[in-house]
Amino acid sequence: MDPAELRSAIKRLIVAELHLPGRDPESIEDDAPLFGGALGLDSLDALQLAMTLEEQFDVRVPEGDEARAIFRSVRGIAEFVAKVRGG
Amino acid sequence: MTVRLWVTGLGLVTPLGHGVEATWERLVRGDRAIGPVTLFEAANQRTTLAAEVAGVVVPGPGWSRSSAMAAEAAGEAMRAAGVDVRRARVGLVVGGTTGGMFETERLLAHLHEEPDCRESLVEMLSHPLTATGDRVEEVLGPFVRVRTLASACSSGANALVVAATWLRAGEVDVVVAGASDGLCRLTHTGFNALAALDPEGCRPFDRRRRGTTLGEGAGFAVLERAESARARGATPVAELAGWAVGCEAHHITHPAPDGSIVAALVERAIARAGLTPRDVDYVSAHGTGTVHNDAMEAQALRRALGAEVHRIPVSSSKGQIGHTLGAAGSIEAVVTALVVSRRTLVPTAGLDEPDPAFGLVHVPHVGRPASRVRVAISNAFGFGGMDTVLVLTDATGDTGARATSAPVASRAVVVTGAAILAPCGLLGDEACARLVDAPAPALAPGPVDPDPYLDPGRARRLDRASRLGVVAAQHALAGAALEDDEAAIVLGSAFGSVDASAAFVHRIFARGPRSASPAEFPNLVPSAQVGHASIYLGLHGPAFATADLATAGESAFVQAVQLVRGGESSSALAGAVELRSDIVERVLAALFSGASRPGLQRVDLAAVVVVEGEQAARSRGARILARVRQTLEWRGKEGPPADLVAPPGDACEVVVARGSTGVDELLEGTPWARCPRLACAPALGESDGLGAAALAVAASRIGHGRTRQVLVLGLAPGRGYAIVLSPP
Repeated sequence: MDPAELRSAIKRLIVAELHLPGRDPESIEDDAPLFGGALGLDSLDALQLAMTLEEQFDVRVPEGDEARAIFRSVRGIAEFVAKVRGG
Repeated sequence: MTVRLWVTGLGLVTPLGHGVEATWERLVRGDRAIGPVTLFEAANQRTTLAAEVAGVVVPGPGWSRSSAMAAEAAGEAMRAAGVDVRRARVGLVVGGTTGGMFETERLLAHLHEEPDCRESLVEMLSHPLTATGDRVEEVLGPFVRVRTLASACSSGANALVVAATWLRAGEVDVVVAGASDGLCRLTHTGFNALAALDPEGCRPFDRRRRGTTLGEGAGFAVLERAESARARGATPVAELAGWAVGCEAHHITHPAPDGSIVAALVERAIARAGLTPRDVDYVSAHGTGTVHNDAMEAQALRRALGAEVHRIPVSSSKGQIGHTLGAAGSIEAVVTALVVSRRTLVPTAGLDEPDPAFGLVHVPHVGRPASRVRVAISNAFGFGGMDTVLVLTDATGDTGARATSAPVASRAVVVTGAAILAPCGLLGDEACARLVDAPAPALAPGPVDPDPYLDPGRARRLDRASRLGVVAAQHALAGAALEDDEAAIVLGSAFGSVDASAAFVHRIFARGPRSASPAEFPNLVPSAQVGHASIYLGLHGPAFATADLATAGESAFVQAVQLVRGGESSSALAGAVELRSDIVERVLAALFSGASRPGLQRVDLAAVVVVEGEQAARSRGARILARVRQTLEWRGKEGPPADLVAPPGDACEVVVARGSTGVDELLEGTPWARCPRLACAPALGESDGLGAAALAVAASRIGHGRTRQVLVLGLAPGRGYAIVLSPP
């Protein structure tokens, strides 16, 4: 999966799994802050998203500061998934 | 007449031991009962620590660890108080959230996987929340009434509040009140998924705290009016001097960070006891050890207690016995009663480095005697922001001029709104009044779609049951034109979210604990729908769920009326939400419905009515549908008590959930036997929530002039309710 495709897949996952009704996945910007920002997501959503990423991409999402760095944006998540799956 | 409430007996089963003395000795010593989980496979979890109770004897089929611990603790409390159920009117209030989940979760996962499975029915006898109260009644009853309630982790504290309202109303002489929760895979996995468990064990108020540790246990207290307790020669352990119950209406799992709601509840509870922060000597904190709870609670205590917070010792037993979930509020109330009666403070174990941001006075590691502990606070907070604060005092002294001991002016209660959401549509009171008039419409049990009535952004966390409940509640509120953000809400359900719980545990068994959904877990707590409704509707009053098999709707209504009648809230939403469920239809209904219910298809149903104090309703110019003339509830096979009021001549009706032979037998020989009988099931479909629909129909029929007086009769095996509504 190329990086842009991966980011799109993650955006679709966010909208579906976090029940963001009426939100167009592509309207989520690659670098926009995911939590505490315009999407209205909080730490319960972060946990749900981490579980979903583990299921969908067969990765193990770390916790704590490392997780905060990954979950900063869609790009952060995509880079993490690509790195773990590529490595 | 003044009413003071004595606690005359205590009972405990905790991870530290069986019985009050075994627990107390080890609590004061600072022993910790936290270790690796042995009850079930907990590998691959964030933490495998828990606080288990050793040596729980589960007597047989129909019993669970929860009910066994409940019977043990309630029995100890009743023996200590010298309660004789044959010589007094004794009520039972049981809180809890897990019921027989531990015993039935493997079977649930199997039922989810193989929907046609019909075996092993008897194992499900222990499953419902009501099984706990039913087993306690079998061994310790008979009780004149039994309430099963859940408000997540404040369930046990709210059991004591319900007991207090019953006693203040003079409806019973003695109440055995408490809660019990056993550990299970579902809660352990769910709290792990929420990253709410500390891998190193619970360390309340510690700078390094990373979460709680789950525990299990039961705590029960016997409460009675001081006057009648004194008359029978009982001695008090402590006095329940004040309480306050409310909702944060903020978030399903996170506490509101500023602690303002909790602070207000602490202030109200103290004031209600006729006291001030200067009188408070000790706080038994909710103190879960999660980052957010402890910060919020410390902030709330600073706000409510002011400068006194620098003097008042605060501790949490969760570092020793874990977070016993639904039982925590009653176990900690029992411990708090012991603290004031024995003038000894219990410690916070695991607290090595107090968080300097909190500014609290701690009792680290070991307990200690205190020169003065006459007034103590016990906090209990639950998912959905359902918070309860109790004030327990030394009963031998005169510690305050109680607002609770003021004469109880029983308020007249009226119904001002009603709504039903079912496959036939969203019905307001006008449609409810017509519902049972017409010949039964050909039912097209299509899907019920609540979403057009909801704000999608605010509703995104709501499960389907919560959506149905919220839509019915807001329609009933709109009909009543009521805007009261202090309204209470009580919703009943026979079996809760059993299908969703089955799907959740199936996933854990099939794919491992890391596949557990943190967003879904909070929706499986029995009070989730009430919590979501309070958040969505912005209600800050008391909120809890009731369960009572197919009379859950009636139990919720009667409970709400009792809250309003006793002045605990000025208005309340009351009803039931039930989803059509494979597991209920194939397994639980056959076990628990008693009479067969042929023919009708089960449907999704939510029904809610609005009840208010009559004076408040009149002063705001509300349109009143009906007055609540009488509410009766009973246990056993007998019918309504002899004091069931008679209908005033003609033009009265009996409204029931469904026609059944039991109704004829019960009404035989009473004047109600001559009244026309209207059943809701033919018009709405089959549901265990039909009792709430019957109440909505009954109030609406009176309000729209279709009848004069209505008896709503609700029956389930071993229990019944009779509610008489009359014109305003």
